[in-house]
Amino acid sequence: MALAGQDTNVKRRDASGPGQAERFPIVSMVLLALTFIGMMISIWMIFLYAPTDAIEGDAQRIFYFHLPSAIIGMLSLGIVALGGIVYLWKKDERWDWVARAAAELGTVFLTFALITGSIWGRTTWGTWWTWDARLTTTLILWFIYIGYLMLRSYMGRTPASARAGAVLAIIGLIDVPIIYESVNWWRTLHPQAVLPLGSSPQLPLEMLLTLVVAFITFTLLFSFLMVQLYQLEKMQTLAQQLRASVE
Amino acid sequence: MQGLTYLVVAYVIVWVGLLAYLGVVMLRIRGVRTELAAVKELVREQQEKSS
Repeated sequence: MALAGQDTNVKRRDASGPGQAERFPIVSMVLLALTFIGMMISIWMIFLYAPTDAIEGDAQRIFYFHLPSAIIGMLSLGIVALGGIVYLWKKDERWDWVARAAAELGTVFLTFALITGSIWGRTTWGTWWTWDARLTTTLILWFIYIGYLMLRSYMGRTPASARAGAVLAIIGLIDVPIIYESVNWWRTLHPQAVLPLGSSPQLPLEMLLTLVVAFITFTLLFSFLMVQLYQLEKMQTLAQQLRASVE
Repeated sequence: MQGLTYLVVAYVIVWVGLLAYLGVVMLRIRGVRTELAAVKELVREQQEKSS
């Protein structure tokens, strides 16, 4: 029985293929277990292993959640754009599922980065917010994510929606290098990069190790959530297709 | 002590937020699975009627 489709040029796949449904729960459980272990180790390292900053005190430890959230929030838009580009090229809706999942997660992680950054700023600068270059460009990225999600929600699950989302993500990607370089291009309150590209890290070894473990943990968490959201997108698309076939 | 308070608040917000989001995602997945099962049943009934 042929399923009704909005656009016959878009490749559709059977979302309940044998083997795929069995692989995902195993992958999910492994990622969840690794994430949990990573979180426990990270918490121990953040609160007990990493030394206290001499100037900022205990509040500096917010950094170990703030920086990984911010990096993943920015890199996620790269995944959205990549998914959009490949979708435009191959017309394979699985890449659109990847893009939608990454957009939602990017919003979540960037929100955490903004909140933890705001709290850290309160302790360091005495203010919850300032129109500093880094903060402003990061907020712009957050609005790009929100705009993407609103656009996709309004236009529904159609090839036109996927194309529009891809274009928005590709254009929005311009903001990511601007965020990274903002502390170099403009005079900012925000600290310089502690892990500058092409240079040695500006952190003591214990802090660097803690940061690396926290980053790996957040990456595992992101991967686990990506698998869940990808599955969600797949099932929602299948449900829509089946609903259309009975109406 | 103030710095430690802000630190704890920040981590509580992140942890609670993550767990809440995880809960929402799981509920959405469960909802879609239920809907999918219902629609598949409809399709099966329609196929039986037409055959």
